[in-house]
Amino acid sequence: MRKIEKRAVICMALAILLAAGMSVFLIRYFAEGGKWASSAFNRHLYDSNGVLISGTVLDRDGDVLSSVENGHRTYYENETVRKATLHAVGDLYGKIGTGVLNAFADKLTGFDLVNGAFGAERGSDLYLTLDARYNYEAYRALGGHAGTVAVYNYKTGEILCMVSAPSYDPLNVPKDLEENDRYKGAYLNRFLSSAFVPGSVFKTVTLTAALENLPDAETRTWNCTGSVQIGDETITCSGVHGEQTLKEAFAHSCNAAFAQIAEELGADTLRRYTEKAGLTSAYSVDGLPTAKGTFNWDGITAGQLGWAGVGQYHDQVNPCAFLLWMGAIANGGKAAEPYLIKKTVSSLGIPSLPHITRHTGRLIDSKTAATVADFMANNVTETYGTKRFPNMELCAKSGTAEVGTGQTPHAWFAGFLRNEDAPYAFVVLVENGGGGNAVAGTVAGKVLNVIVNRY
Amino acid sequence: MQELFSALSLWLSAHPLITGWYTAIARLLFPVLSALILVRAIRSLLRIPHTPEVWAQLSLPGGGSIPLTHWENILGRGKSADAILNYPSISRQHAALCRGEDGAWTVYDLGSKGGTAVNGTPVTEQAPVKLGDTITLGGVPLVFLPQTVGEREELEKKRQAERPAAMWPSFLWLTVFQILTAIQLTLAAGEKASPVIPICFLILTAVMWLYAAALRLGRCVGFELETIAFYLSTLSLAVTASSAPGSLPKQLLAIVLGMGLFLALGLFLRDLERVEKRRWLMAAGAIGLLGITLVLGKAKFGATNWVTLGGISFQPSEIAKICYIFAGSATLERLFRRRNLALFIVLTGVCIGLLGLMSDFGTAAIFFVTFLVIAYLRSGDAATLALICGGAAFGTGIIVQFKPYILSRFAAWGHAWEAASGSGYQQTRTMSAAASGGLFGMGAGNGWLERIPAGDTDLVFGMLCEEWGLVIALLAVACILTLAWFAVRASRTGRSSFYTIAACAAGSLLVFQTSLNVFGSVDLLPLTGVTFPFVSNGGSAMLSAWGLLAYLKTMDTRADASFAIGRAAERKLDEEAARMAAPAEDAFEKEDGHAED
Repeated sequence: MRKIEKRAVICMALAILLAAGMSVFLIRYFAEGGKWASSAFNRHLYDSNGVLISGTVLDRDGDVLSSVENGHRTYYENETVRKATLHAVGDLYGKIGTGVLNAFADKLTGFDLVNGAFGAERGSDLYLTLDARYNYEAYRALGGHAGTVAVYNYKTGEILCMVSAPSYDPLNVPKDLEENDRYKGAYLNRFLSSAFVPGSVFKTVTLTAALENLPDAETRTWNCTGSVQIGDETITCSGVHGEQTLKEAFAHSCNAAFAQIAEELGADTLRRYTEKAGLTSAYSVDGLPTAKGTFNWDGITAGQLGWAGVGQYHDQVNPCAFLLWMGAIANGGKAAEPYLIKKTVSSLGIPSLPHITRHTGRLIDSKTAATVADFMANNVTETYGTKRFPNMELCAKSGTAEVGTGQTPHAWFAGFLRNEDAPYAFVVLVENGGGGNAVAGTVAGKVLNVIVNRY
Repeated sequence: MQELFSALSLWLSAHPLITGWYTAIARLLFPVLSALILVRAIRSLLRIPHTPEVWAQLSLPGGGSIPLTHWENILGRGKSADAILNYPSISRQHAALCRGEDGAWTVYDLGSKGGTAVNGTPVTEQAPVKLGDTITLGGVPLVFLPQTVGEREELEKKRQAERPAAMWPSFLWLTVFQILTAIQLTLAAGEKASPVIPICFLILTAVMWLYAAALRLGRCVGFELETIAFYLSTLSLAVTASSAPGSLPKQLLAIVLGMGLFLALGLFLRDLERVEKRRWLMAAGAIGLLGITLVLGKAKFGATNWVTLGGISFQPSEIAKICYIFAGSATLERLFRRRNLALFIVLTGVCIGLLGLMSDFGTAAIFFVTFLVIAYLRSGDAATLALICGGAAFGTGIIVQFKPYILSRFAAWGHAWEAASGSGYQQTRTMSAAASGGLFGMGAGNGWLERIPAGDTDLVFGMLCEEWGLVIALLAVACILTLAWFAVRASRTGRSSFYTIAACAAGSLLVFQTSLNVFGSVDLLPLTGVTFPFVSNGGSAMLSAWGLLAYLKTMDTRADASFAIGRAAERKLDEEAARMAAPAEDAFEKEDGHAED
């Protein structure tokens, strides 16, 4: 009998396997349960059309962007506001995955893994860090172009404005949404999920590398004759800038000078500074992942390196990562990580815990950051003009990114304010918009004007 | 009654706040009640093993004695012997001493080097022994003696002190649980509520108390296993009331019939001789039941495992499990004999083959695992079993080669979410519904998983999570684990190898079936469509679960605990000891020249 007793461990082994399997299930339950529940077929949270049954989305001032009335989900009454906030709020059919209605169904319904979906029909209030007004202005400023505008507080991380275009009215979805080129990529939040050729805004990175690696960087001069031959590539410039210091070359956005600097620094140095700047990193905005920027430094020729150093060649940058890069320069090297959800208030009136600001790693040395900021401020006084940006201690860099022959270039304008009371970093991208300063700079001016001067 | 009820439900639907508040409070109460019900039972079962029964003893030449605590005892020098005799002339496994159903003992020589003799007469293979005889093993004389009155009284006192915990508080809490559940389900059903729900629950409560009273009158005091079974059956009724209120009376009937089977089988198993005689019948029963299914079966969810006779549909394969364990465990070749598994392998091969033809791969897997457990317990031959496993894997591979469509049924395994509207439909719904329940559930009757095909059977774990919450779903799994744990621990005090093997097989079967059900529904294993023992909606499965519980009940050798344990044998020992008390001592003095210490 004792023999059989010993053999009975086989039964015990099966029991242990069941227990172990239950542990695996529990781990997955608590890790992914929220995602399981946030399925459009879950009738505890979604109606038979797959629309979230409860929860109100508000902007930072409490303007209701989306709510449920009599069993129907509603949006803000103004159509342009609906379009301007669509990518933040989300659509009715789960197409815009990064929208709050889709990505934060749990927060909106008050769902959690302890209480389950019990009482989900009452819903919670979710306050965004966005101001619907800023989004509205930004969307209008884009003037029908595809692109993105984002402004955030580099000290706290609040995203004040986040627009992605093309957009559409979620209550009147265009019939030709999926076919018409006008709406190409309308489901994408370009700020979070896309990457674009940066053009000259990338010179901020090349500049940082130059300041830290060329011993006489600030005293040396570079000559510009309108173009420069590096290897078998001719790098053309927007003008003939002549002899110029680094600061002047940056203000002129001189391709000839920066291509030579890139060649001198070498691919490895530029790769290091690009990675340190966070441009190849994926960030998380309240759990929403951002797209990674991509660069190609391997086996690069001297000429290609010249182009890569001025933000062309295979360079691709995610607008959100670039915004953080701007924030880091403004904030002495480390930027606050951006967030979108200000707070939630449950149906019983219980607010969520206050947001704790987290910072990125060191993206740039603080001393270098101060110099780069001064250079960027100099850009505004020398090139962009201060009158366009009243009451703003603006530091900025424009970019006109070539995207192929016969196509209008992408217009970039990125930077930050050094105002104590308006510590904002911003990024503007207008796809096929034209000149960076003229087009994107104007959009940035309009939006910042509303934010800073409260027009 | 009906009118009163519909008036009540009409009034309630006009006051939805009452329903809301009731559920909000009850959903928090249910896990607490469940803990109150189960903690006592589980704790009591985990305290096993207890002081074993003693059937006789062997007194040693140098003084002292070894109690024989089983009906089958191996005598030898080895560590795995039941009576360890540390003499160099005794073989590791020297002899076996077995008690027959009639109380007569037999000694078997297990091919020992030193030889075995009874009262000086050498034993070639086997010889009867009587109490008082001297058994000589390798020249070492051992006197085979009954316990004295004093020893028996002391033992009895010790065993009485370890009597099972009183289960009436658990029954009381379970009654509260059932009443609250009936109210919750009635409220959740709203205008569609019918008096059938409370009536069925009331009958279950009554049956439960009736069972306890009847057994208590029969002086049986162990109710832990039944407490667990009643608790899970209550959940089953609740699941059925939520998903298919029309089948509620049928499910209740299945519970009552299951209890009947449990009692009948338990009483039948008391007599080992009877068990041995019927094992061929049971083997034929297993094959016959599966064969009938193959001939008359109807397909449901891909497997042809339903038979409809006279308007009643059932799954014979469920009952076949009970027959299979019976036939596999009941073997004349007791633990010490040549371990011949050939016939058992043939039986297993036929059963699994038939199940394969029915495309019931879940049940086939259950049979195979049960086979492995029984075969290992019987033979201890891990190498052969590994070979068989290898062969089975190879065979499966061949079958899949020729019939690749079998695999397509399990194609979604591991990536259910990528096939959420196709082959991962049921699993993704289960996971989503399960996560919606949180720890305390949405309230019985408030789920939507019941609308998904097989929601209350194959996916019932998801329904438990959704409507009852993760806590109760985990407790349900813990119940099954406790049963297996009990089977293993109690094997230390089992009377016969048959009981131990059958109980461990039944425990393993329940555990494995639960694993397939739970992990299949949440995409950790392929979804094979087997039921959760006791909980899933379905009459045959309920009968089967209660029937299997009888095997576990035969392991409960605590004093007066189990109805499945014959008490006559022990009583006879008491009486004999008492009768022999006075003269016995003299007789032994004379015969052996030494008395008991």
